[in-house]
Amino acid sequence: MKRRNFVQSVALSSIGAPLVLKNFKFGAVTEDLFKSSKSAGDRVLVIIRMNGGNDGLSTLVPLDQYANLTVQRSNILIPENQLLTITPTNALHPSMSGMRDMFNNERLSIIQNVGYPEQNRSHFRSMDIWTSGMLDPNATRGWLGRYLDQQFPNFPDDYPDTQNPDPFAISMGYEVSATCQGLAANFSVAVNNPFDSYNLVETGQVNDGTYYGSHMEYLSTLIMQANAYGAQVNAAANAGSSLSTMYDPADDVSKNLKYIAQMISGGLKTKIYIVNVNGFDTHDGQVVSGAPTTGAHANLLSRISTAVAAFQNDLSLLGLEHRVAGMTFSEFGRQIASNASDGTDHGDAAPLFLFGSCINTGIIGPNPVISNTVVDQAGVPMQIDFRDVYASILKDWFEADPTEIQGMFEQTVNFIPVLSSCNLGVEENFKESDVLIFPNPCVDQTTLKFKCSGEKVTVRVYDTSGTLVSEVCSKEFQPGEHLVPISMDGHPSGNYIVTVHKNSGTFTKKFIKLKTI
Amino acid sequence: MIPEENVQEPISLSLTPYTGSWTKAEAAHLLRRTMFGPTFNQITQAVSNGMNATVAQLLTPVSVSPPLAFHPDEAVTATGSTWINDVYPASPGPTNNARLFSLGAWFMQRINQPNVSIQEKMCLFWDNHFGVDGTNEAKAVYGMHEKYRLNYLGNFKQLVKDMTIDPMMLLFLNGATNNPFSPNENYARELLELFTVGKGPQVGPGDYSNYTEADVAAGAKILTGWTVTDLYSTTASQPTNVFYPILHDTSSKTLSPYFGSTVIPDAGNLEYANYIDVIFSQPDMAKYLCRKIYRWFVNYDLTPSVESTVIADMASTLSSNNFEVQPVIEQLLKSEHFYDISVRGSIIKNPLELLFSMLNASGSVPGYTVPVNYEIYLNLYYLSQVMGMEYLRAPSVGGWTAYYQTPAFSRLWANSSLLKLRFDLGSYMTITPGIVVNGNPFKLNALNLVNNLSLPSSAPQVIDDILTVFTCKGVSVIEKAILKSILTNGQPDFEWTIQYNDYLADPGNTTVSTPVRQRIEFVLYRLFQLPESQVI
Repeated sequence: MKRRNFVQSVALSSIGAPLVLKNFKFGAVTEDLFKSSKSAGDRVLVIIRMNGGNDGLSTLVPLDQYANLTVQRSNILIPENQLLTITPTNALHPSMSGMRDMFNNERLSIIQNVGYPEQNRSHFRSMDIWTSGMLDPNATRGWLGRYLDQQFPNFPDDYPDTQNPDPFAISMGYEVSATCQGLAANFSVAVNNPFDSYNLVETGQVNDGTYYGSHMEYLSTLIMQANAYGAQVNAAANAGSSLSTMYDPADDVSKNLKYIAQMISGGLKTKIYIVNVNGFDTHDGQVVSGAPTTGAHANLLSRISTAVAAFQNDLSLLGLEHRVAGMTFSEFGRQIASNASDGTDHGDAAPLFLFGSCINTGIIGPNPVISNTVVDQAGVPMQIDFRDVYASILKDWFEADPTEIQGMFEQTVNFIPVLSSCNLGVEENFKESDVLIFPNPCVDQTTLKFKCSGEKVTVRVYDTSGTLVSEVCSKEFQPGEHLVPISMDGHPSGNYIVTVHKNSGTFTKKFIKLKTI
Repeated sequence: MIPEENVQEPISLSLTPYTGSWTKAEAAHLLRRTMFGPTFNQITQAVSNGMNATVAQLLTPVSVSPPLAFHPDEAVTATGSTWINDVYPASPGPTNNARLFSLGAWFMQRINQPNVSIQEKMCLFWDNHFGVDGTNEAKAVYGMHEKYRLNYLGNFKQLVKDMTIDPMMLLFLNGATNNPFSPNENYARELLELFTVGKGPQVGPGDYSNYTEADVAAGAKILTGWTVTDLYSTTASQPTNVFYPILHDTSSKTLSPYFGSTVIPDAGNLEYANYIDVIFSQPDMAKYLCRKIYRWFVNYDLTPSVESTVIADMASTLSSNNFEVQPVIEQLLKSEHFYDISVRGSIIKNPLELLFSMLNASGSVPGYTVPVNYEIYLNLYYLSQVMGMEYLRAPSVGGWTAYYQTPAFSRLWANSSLLKLRFDLGSYMTITPGIVVNGNPFKLNALNLVNNLSLPSSAPQVIDDILTVFTCKGVSVIEKAILKSILTNGQPDFEWTIQYNDYLADPGNTTVSTPVRQRIEFVLYRLFQLPESQVI
């Protein structure tokens, strides 16, 4: 395949003079340097792993199911009046004010009910499935490792080289990330503190063809890479800056995202950063007994929400917003019914967050339906396959070729527009913050939200070939916000476009109709 | 890099007794895999004793003294006495922390022993197997660890039964809050997935090919009724489990066809044991533990041929001995396959193996007062923690990723970030004063190391012996020359001989001992940065 050139023209570390750069007021110049860059080549993906299985129903609460949630999980359920409402039918956990603000500022989107068929409730197996992006138990490579293998064959032997002096991926802390496991080695470099310097002894080892020899070769390659990559990371961290005051200095998630902002702003060309957050396996003490807004889960969500909001703020101040997108993932959600230990056991699907200025805003996917009776071991059914999310990120964000993406996954992938709003040639207009379609994807019914100033508004639905599917309405509306139901009953599943014609212009949104499960 | 499939296959996949050559290479291989860093003397002694006698020695129990109070926050037990049966004060927090510190230090002290014994490797094996995070009531933590220690080569089925109702385990995996009104599946799941039969490929919804989600749910019901009492007690000597019949689900529980669709009737406080008996009757039950033993002692790579030969044979030994662990370990350590050249050096040292290969191989044991020794050991605990291995605080119930995460396995101990720390540790233990507690230093004992080599006055022999101790297959000719020139400071070999003999003539004189110590430390400083010293 054609090797994609990750754009290097604006990466300051290639100037290679960290002492000079140290006195450079970085925040002032990045605006012009980076804001114009629209290509996928210099885009960065930040992944936050919520390790242990995040309780989605406490993270994004389906308000229309609240009555039944009281039947299922009264001991951990957060009072409705304390939740942070973000749409008429959805609310965030009260400790997530940072991410609530991001949602309102169109910097956060949420995909609901993400999982895979035949959920495996083992932490280990399910995490392997999520990191590999494969259900095949023999898969050993990570989903990003497969992508990077395509881009950079012969890793690690041929790298770093002059075209690629920086680590392809960085995993914050002391562990590499299984998402980046490639054919011969892991593409991620573990960086605990980018300000550390490296000067390891380089020696030649001979591979004698045994496991031992293979380790010798691995370790000597690692030493050379650690020196080379370590110097690059160190120079970038020293050259970079961080401008946000919203980080929590006492918290590791904040600290790591701040390091990442510093490395990106210092010109590091690393494509992928991974931050790991442990502690989501909340079998007990998920909430403090009798005080469900507090406890282990509230603390975890608060740490992530604060850190992500600070990071987004930092990127904005550094003029880097258009280059960076983020996502969260967890190996599974938790069961609908709580247990007697003020906790929840391993479940199935859960919501996943995307953040950045290029995301397609809103909530993708309908609210889960919660039964009014407790069913043993019931979890939230999967509606969107996580592999579709991965594939869509590769397509929208790294602009990888759809055919090649399909080749990386075992099932037929459905592309969902998740991060396409910064791409050129997209027939949507996302600048109009007053137009929102939810749920998206939908099943038979979705709702359009828009604002207008006492005028005639026409709403139409088209398919992707431009054929009119239905005219939803065409009439005078009062000034203010309106909710218009759109029925998709009887139409085939697939991609659709809704247009809202007002005096101020025509606004369009893509949405998806799902197959009925 | 060579793709894994091109790595040389073992010549022998047989567990029949090894009868090949028995030299320092084979003896050191045995001791490195079963201990935390043998000395040169232990290696040569094993050569002269032979394989059978050395394995017998490794399997002989050694007596152990319990952890001692040392920390100023300990409010009940006198410094230097053990706290393991002592009550707590009314405000137990600081005392408990002091006891947890004592326990962490004690683990390090246990590993830092001169015994030729497999005991500590097996205790760590069980810690990895059950994956408990021991941040809790210190006596409950110690009580659980004692089950590993008393049963380290004992009966696996009995150990699983003991662990199922162990107070610490009941707390850790929520057995203590599992009740019929609202079952908590945490322990029931890990019992099957990680402790006994292990998880097979998922072959259907909730079907993991040797157990199902329904078994997890049934197990949770079977295990209801157990809880823990006398935690942090000011009167009772031990926290204990207690069975409340009223909290036990008395319905009959039906297991899946993987367990013969067995119905487990209500049996109160004996029901858990009946259930475990059923689990252990599954035909392939023994294989899961044998794979873990294999990965711990032999090699990470469970190829189809290893599965069908070595693992199958080990499993047959384990199950035919009614799950007694010692026979299968003994058979493995004496087998042709264990000494096969293809598996030597195939494991990258875990942080404790790395740390204690430096200390134990040089016979370095702190000899100060109890509080100073324990502070030193606590520092060692922190060092291994930073490098990714906290004793009794595995990152998850699955244990450390290096023992299960494909395809990297033990390479996970040495990524670019951790490798720097490992090299820093090598520097710390050689060319710096090391750990200093109240003016009392502790690090690798270079003089003791060199004095116990075969011919310390000969520079080439010193290098050869050091490579025997710290590497599996030596180093390149060029690297060996570099190490020798570090030892002799670039002088002819006889200069080292003179220096060493001057020191021998007047060992208490630091003017002559310091250069000898420093030259050895410089050699080891270099050696510890070479990939060859990173594996066992």
